[in-house]
Amino acid sequence: MTTIRTLTRPEVRTPSTTKKWPIVMGFLAPALLLYFVFVLWPIIQAMHYSVYHWNGLEPLTDFVGFNNFTKAFGDPVFRSALYHNFIILGLSLALQLPFALFLAVMLDQNLKGRALMRMLFFAPYVLSEVVTAVVWRQIFRPSGAIDAVISGVSSHDFQGLWLANPKIVLYSLFFVITWKYFGFHMMIMLAGLQQIPDELQEAAAIDGASSWQAFRCITLPLLAPAIRVSVFLSMIGSIQLFDVVWVLTGGGPINASNTMATYMYDWGFERHHIGYANAVSVIVFGLSLLVALAYQRWALRRDVEGSLTAMGA
Amino acid sequence: MHKYTRATWFVVLLVVLSLVACACGDDTVTTTAGAEATTTTAAVTTTEAPTTTEPQPVTIEWWHIEVSDPGLSLWQDVADEYMAAHPWVTINITVQENEAFKTALATNMQAGDVPDLFQSWGGGALREQVDAGLVQDITDLAAPWVDQISPGALTMMMIDGKLYGAPWDLGLVGIWYNKTLFADAGVEAPIATWEDLLADVQTFQDAGITPISLAEGDKWPGMFWYAELALRIGGADVMEAAAVNQNFDDPAFLTAGEELAALVALDPFQAGFLATPWDTPDGSAAVLANGNAAMLLMGQWAPGTMRSNGPDLAASGELGWFSFPAYEGGAGASTDAFGGGNGFAVGNDAPPETVDFLGYISSVDVATRIGETGARLPVVIGSEDSVTDPDLAAVLAGMSQATYFQLYLDQAYPPAVGAAVNDAVALLFANAGTPQDVVDAVNAAWAGE
Amino acid sequence: MVDDVVDLATRPTQLPGSGRRFEIRSAVARGFLYLVALVVLATIILPVLYVILGGFRSTPQLASDPLGLPHPWLFSNYRAVLGLGSFWRQVWNSTLIAMITVGLVLPAASLAAFVLSRFRFKAREGIYTLFTFGLLFPVTVAILPLFIVVRQLHLINSPLGVALPQAAFALPLSIIILRPFFASIPGDFEEAAMLDGAGPLRFYWSILLPLSRPVMATITVLTIVTSWNAFLLPLVVLNKSVQHTLPLGVTNFSSQYTTDTAKVLAFTALSMIPALLFYVIAERQIVKGLAGGAIKG
Repeated sequence: MTTIRTLTRPEVRTPSTTKKWPIVMGFLAPALLLYFVFVLWPIIQAMHYSVYHWNGLEPLTDFVGFNNFTKAFGDPVFRSALYHNFIILGLSLALQLPFALFLAVMLDQNLKGRALMRMLFFAPYVLSEVVTAVVWRQIFRPSGAIDAVISGVSSHDFQGLWLANPKIVLYSLFFVITWKYFGFHMMIMLAGLQQIPDELQEAAAIDGASSWQAFRCITLPLLAPAIRVSVFLSMIGSIQLFDVVWVLTGGGPINASNTMATYMYDWGFERHHIGYANAVSVIVFGLSLLVALAYQRWALRRDVEGSLTAMGA
Repeated sequence: MHKYTRATWFVVLLVVLSLVACACGDDTVTTTAGAEATTTTAAVTTTEAPTTTEPQPVTIEWWHIEVSDPGLSLWQDVADEYMAAHPWVTINITVQENEAFKTALATNMQAGDVPDLFQSWGGGALREQVDAGLVQDITDLAAPWVDQISPGALTMMMIDGKLYGAPWDLGLVGIWYNKTLFADAGVEAPIATWEDLLADVQTFQDAGITPISLAEGDKWPGMFWYAELALRIGGADVMEAAAVNQNFDDPAFLTAGEELAALVALDPFQAGFLATPWDTPDGSAAVLANGNAAMLLMGQWAPGTMRSNGPDLAASGELGWFSFPAYEGGAGASTDAFGGGNGFAVGNDAPPETVDFLGYISSVDVATRIGETGARLPVVIGSEDSVTDPDLAAVLAGMSQATYFQLYLDQAYPPAVGAAVNDAVALLFANAGTPQDVVDAVNAAWAGE
Repeated sequence: MVDDVVDLATRPTQLPGSGRRFEIRSAVARGFLYLVALVVLATIILPVLYVILGGFRSTPQLASDPLGLPHPWLFSNYRAVLGLGSFWRQVWNSTLIAMITVGLVLPAASLAAFVLSRFRFKAREGIYTLFTFGLLFPVTVAILPLFIVVRQLHLINSPLGVALPQAAFALPLSIIILRPFFASIPGDFEEAAMLDGAGPLRFYWSILLPLSRPVMATITVLTIVTSWNAFLLPLVVLNKSVQHTLPLGVTNFSSQYTTDTAKVLAFTALSMIPALLFYVIAERQIVKGLAGGAIKG
C-alpha cells in the first residue's frame, strides 16, 4: 500500500519561506563547517600553492604562474603516469565492472551458499591497503607463492617477475586492485538487481521472452542506475589511485606503475617541490571534474533533475 | 519511546568519546626500556640554560630511525643514561621507519614544527633546512666537545663552515665480495681496475656465478655505481665543480654513464634486479649472504644487513672488502672516498641541553658502543678499536686515509636533483635511457630548482 | 500511524534471489557458475589464508618452501604480537578514531541531506554540487594544506586531528547516498507529521531517521572501513607512536621486522581480524542499505 514515488521530489510545504531559513541553515551548518574547514579550504590553498615554486620551508615568494602546469604536461614521466591512470580506467570498465555484474547476477540466482559467497566476495574491500600490499607482495615476490605454484605445475623453476618486469607490473597492479574492489562494485549491482520488481520478470516470462531477452531488455535497463554509480565511482577511483600503488610498487620499477597521485606524492614529499606537487593535484582534481561533468552530461541526458541516479551533481 | 533512549545514549557516547579524544591528545605512557618506542611525561620546556642550582625542567624531542636492534636499544639506553645524569631533562623519543620519518619530518617542518634532535644525512637536504632557518647553528655551543669528532667526518653536518649537528656514523662505499665464489671462479681480489672488473664479470658468468648483486628496486644502489665511476673518471675537482656549477656538463659524467652502460650490457646482475629491494629476506643483501652472487657495491652497513637477512658470511670468514677499482686514465685517485653516514641535526628551537646531549652521543664511550654493534662506523677519535671486524676496519682505514669525500649524490644535491640522478640511472640499468639522458635529466632538475 | 510506517519500511528487503530474475535453469550453466564462484573464492581466500598460516611458520621455512603448511605449528609469532602492548594500543586508537568519525558524519550528513532533499531553496543545487566536489579531491592530494589546518587548530597528535578531516571527507559520499533515499520518502509522512504539530526537527528525528536505519548503517560501515584503513592522514598527524593506528603499526612493524617475514605475516593477519569481524557483523546492513539507499530506482 505504501508507494515509493520515484520521479518526484516531495517538498515540505511550509507557510512562508522566511521561517525555513534558520532551519535550513541550522541543519546545514555542521556539515558545511566541517566541509569548509577541512575540504574546501585545503583545496583553495592547494590551488594557491600550485602557482608558486615552493619547497614548503621557505616563505611563499616565487610566483611562477602556470609554469608548474606546463612543466607537468611536458614531463614524460607525468604523461606516462596519466597514461597509466587511463589504462587502469579502461581496464576497470572493460573487465572489472562486467565481472562484478556477472558475479552479482550469479549471486542473484538461487545458488547454494549464496550468503557466504556474498560475504566473502566483499571481504577484500574491508582490508586496508597496507595489508593488501603486504599480502600480495609476499605472493608476487620472486620464488614466492605464485612462482611456487607455477613451478610445481610446470615442473621447472619459474620466476614470474610480476612486480619486477616494467612491462607487466601495471597489469599485476590492476589484478590486485580488481581483487580489492570487485566486491564493492558487485554489491552495488546486486543491490540494484534486488530493486527490480518480480512482476516485470514474470510478465516477460508470460510473454514468452527467453532468459537472455529478459535480461537484455528488462534487467539491464533497470539496472542502469546502479551501473552508472559503479562506473562513476570506478572512473574517479582510477584517476585518483594512490594507496595500493604506493605501498605495493612505489610507482616502480622505473616509473612503470606510476599514477598521477604517486607522482604527486613523490614530487611533494620526496623532492620537496610542494608548489609543483600541488599543481599536479589540481590537475587530478580538474580531470576528475571533467570526467564527472562529461559523464553526467552523457549519462543523464534523458533524466529529469538527476533524480534517477545517486549522482545528482 | 525506546528510540529516544537509544539515540540519547549514542549522543552521550559521542560526547564522552570526544572528551576522551581531547584528553588523549596529551597521552602519557611511562618510560620502559626495550624494544618498543616510548614517550615520557612531557614537562614544560624552556630555552634558557639553567642559571640557578635548580634547573628548569627541559624536554628534548628526539626523532630517530633505528626501528630495530641493536640501534633501538642503544639509543634508548643512551637517552636513559643522560636523563639519569641530568634529572631535569626529559627526552621524548619518536622512532619511525625511514620513509615514514621523511614524510612526517617534511610535513612538520613545513608547518614550522621542528623536532629538537633528528636524523639527518647532511648534504642538500640539510642545506635546504639551513636556508629555511629550521636548524640551529651549534658551532659555538658544541665547542666543548666538537674536537672529539674526526674533522673529516664533521664536514658532513657543516654547511658553509657552520655546524648544524653531529655525525655518529660515517663510512665509504666499497665492494663486498664472497671469497669462496671468487676462489671458485679463479678471480683475484682486490680487483684493481674497471677494465679488470668487466673482464672478471665474464669469468664469473663462465663459471655459472652471478657476478653482481644489485638492489635497483631502491634506486640508490644503482646510483652508487654511477657515482663511483664518475669519481674515478673525473676526480675530486670535477665532482666539486659539478656541485658548485650545478650541472653534469663535464665529459666525465658522460663517460661514467657509458662505462656503466657497458657493464649493464654484460647482464651481470641477479634475476629481477630492477625491483629487488635492499633490506628484505629476498633483497640484494640476502642474495650475497646466501652465496647467490659474487659482489656487492655497498656502504658500511652491509655486513649488518646481510647478517639480518641470511647467513653471517662475515662470521664464517667468507666476506671480504676492497675499495672501488681505479679507472685507467681517469683523473680520480683510489683514495677518493664516496660514501656517507648518519648524523643528528639540531632544531632551531632546541634547548641548549640538546647540544649537550649530542655531546654525550659523541663521547668516546657511546661511540665505542656504536662501533661494537658491528653495523655502523663511529666517527669519534679514540673509538676506532671498537671496530673489530677486519672488513669494517678496512673501511674505517679507507675513511681515515681519504683525500676527498663525496657524499651520496641523492643526499649531497637538493632532493629533486638527487631523485633525478637516481631515476635517470635506473633507466640506464633498464636499458631505457642513454648516458646522455642522465646528464640531461640532472641538468634539467638543477635548472628547475 | 507513524508506527505502521516505520514497521513497513523497516521490514527486511526481499531476500536475494527470492524473486525470479532471469533464472538459469540448465544444469551445465549452473555448474559453470559454481566453478566460477569457486575460482573467485579461491583467489580471495587463499592469499588471506597464506598470510594467516604464514604466521605459524618460521621465516627460513617461508623462504625455502613458500607453499608448505606449517609443520611444526609455531605459536611464538602470534603470541609475540598479541603480547605487544603497542598492537592493542593501535587497535584501540583505530577504534576510537573510527567511532568519533562516524559520530560526526552521521548527524552532519543526515541533517544536510535532509534539507538538501526535502526543502526547496535557491542555493540548494549549488550547495549539493559543492559537496559532490569533495569526491573529486581525495585526502592524499590535499594533505599538506590539510596538515597545516590541523596544526593551526592544535590537533596534532590528537585523535580528533584525524577524525575531523576524515568526517569532512566522508560527507560527500554520505550525502550522495542519503539524498535520494530521503527524497523518496513520501510527502504524506510529512503532512501527517505536520498535522500532528511536529516541526521539521521532530520529523527528522522521529520519522526520517528510523526509516533510514539501513542506509545509515551502510554509511556507518563505509565510514568505519575507510577510517580504519586510513594511512596517510594518521601518518602525518599522529607523530607519537603511542597514538598510532593499526595501518601505521603494520608499516612500522613490517619495516622493523623486515627480515622476519613470518612475524610480519602474523602481525598482518591479526590486524585483519578486527576489520573482518566487524564486517561479518555488519554485512547484512550493507546489502540492506545499498538496496534502500543509493540505488533507489
